[in-house]
Amino acid sequence: MPALELNNVRKVYGTGEHQVVALNDVDLTVDDDEMLILVGPSGSGKTTLLTVAGALLQPTSGSVKVGGTEITDLDEKQRAALRRDQVGFVFQSVNLVPFLTAKENLLVVRQFGGSKIDNEARKRADQLLDELGLGGRGGSLPSQLSGGQKQRVAIGRALMNEPSLVLVDEPTSALDSELGKQVMDLLQREIKGRGVAAIIVTHDERVLEYGDRQVQMVDGVLSSDSEHAERAATAQA
Amino acid sequence: MRIGLKELRRQPSRFASVGIALTVLVVLLVVLGGFLDGLELNQTGPYRAHEDRILVFSESSENLIQRSEVDQAQAAELADTDGVAAVGGLDLISSTATANDGEVFDIVLFGYELATDVIPSPPANGAVVDAALTDRYGVAVGDTLKIGPSSEPVLVVAIVDDLSQGSPTVWVSTDRWREIVEAGNPAALPPEGVNQALVVDLAEQADIADLAAELNGLVGISAVTAIEAIEALPVVQQQSSTFEAIIGLTFVVTLLVVALFFALITLERIGLYAVLKALGAGTKDLMAGISAQAVCVSVVALVIGFGLSVVFVSLLPDDLPVRIEPARLAQIAVGVIVTAIVGSLFSLRRVLRIDPAEAIG
Repeated sequence: MPALELNNVRKVYGTGEHQVVALNDVDLTVDDDEMLILVGPSGSGKTTLLTVAGALLQPTSGSVKVGGTEITDLDEKQRAALRRDQVGFVFQSVNLVPFLTAKENLLVVRQFGGSKIDNEARKRADQLLDELGLGGRGGSLPSQLSGGQKQRVAIGRALMNEPSLVLVDEPTSALDSELGKQVMDLLQREIKGRGVAAIIVTHDERVLEYGDRQVQMVDGVLSSDSEHAERAATAQA
Repeated sequence: MRIGLKELRRQPSRFASVGIALTVLVVLLVVLGGFLDGLELNQTGPYRAHEDRILVFSESSENLIQRSEVDQAQAAELADTDGVAAVGGLDLISSTATANDGEVFDIVLFGYELATDVIPSPPANGAVVDAALTDRYGVAVGDTLKIGPSSEPVLVVAIVDDLSQGSPTVWVSTDRWREIVEAGNPAALPPEGVNQALVVDLAEQADIADLAAELNGLVGISAVTAIEAIEALPVVQQQSSTFEAIIGLTFVVTLLVVALFFALITLERIGLYAVLKALGAGTKDLMAGISAQAVCVSVVALVIGFGLSVVFVSLLPDDLPVRIEPARLAQIAVGVIVTAIVGSLFSLRRVLRIDPAEAIG
């Protein structure tokens, strides 16, 4: 079963003359453990695609299935539960909770919907922090972490609930090239190592090589779809 | 909820302003409540001394002892009713007393026949006085007070709790009371065999509310509990309504302070709440955190406010009738916490409208 299926998805903002078509009959399938790179100019609809795929926004029409669940049939409470259980987010501006430590930022997703933080959750958070190279920083507040460390905590938070789909928005935009490479290496290792599907939205050409597949979006339409191998070959040439 | 509590613990300074405002409001509530209770207790001692008993007044008296007259026939009818163990007279007159050192002060002189849990049986010779006389004028057992314009002497034989009714009270037997009133103010003396009010002691199995209702069926009388008699006092009604209005207004201010603070803090946190919603938090999760913060801030404000109130009240002059009663503190604590929860829920609409998509957009 694919991690994500979008069929004829259309998202329209506004009405009448002010109508803007952000997604125009988009079809997209992301398989389990596939890492998809989504590129495109600003305003092309990438973010809208991400918000629809992450059950943050309902499409105007069409079908969106996350892990086989049709999310257009769900109410807000059910979509919140789906986001909590099946989707991981890495936001462009990291968005860690400023008054929680690194470990608590990972555990925060386990507190919603009446869930409790148990020993198993604590062990998983410790394990994730170790894998992310933050074994000794679990008790640090975000203000005590560097930009790269914060990004790694955000990746850990996205993986904490063992999601089937991870959505990553501009992961390297605020990082220098060395740090950006480190974060992408880490992201690739963690996502591929867990067999999780991921969509990575980026403007950064250095990120392109990390995907299994690259999709380009222009004016709300997915306009090209090429194999990573071809991209790599072109880049090398 | 856990996130909200962690924020409170790690960033307490963010909540300092609402905490200080709530503490000041708690002090205000305690002091206002203290004045209300002090004034009420200061006016109702004789009635409180007759708790668990029924007080009987004439029907047209509006349950005011000064306006009431009940005769022996009515007393006998009451005594014959099932559930009544004993019936005794109760009379009062405002007067003055002169202490051994010549100091003159206002008192209320009571004539009575039945002992209560607070007042011993009427002494054959002498008087029971309340502690207000000791506290304010140094009256002690063995002193002789000269009562009224005729300076009728009464020997103080016992001192009981403060039973003030505006002024300190002196308690003598009904016979002695009639002698003193006849000597000093004969026009105020009820006819022989008539008392201003009657006190009914209940038999062991009798229910006070049921018996009062039954006695009310008798012709020409009004039978009420001590609490109902207190509520009938005009001075208590006026004080209660005035202070309760001010206390109510203070609770409204408390509600507005909490509501405004959490509305502002919610505005500040829209970005954070959008992220938490994107991660799977429901509105219920977020509101539980906000309300938990409001409850915690309230509890801290209550603890500090109660402490400051005790200090403040102890610094007030002794003759100010302020009393801090545990029941009043409990009422304020529950009221402030409930008000804080309700105030924090004013942010609900704002939180409901936060779009989780804003976390990405």
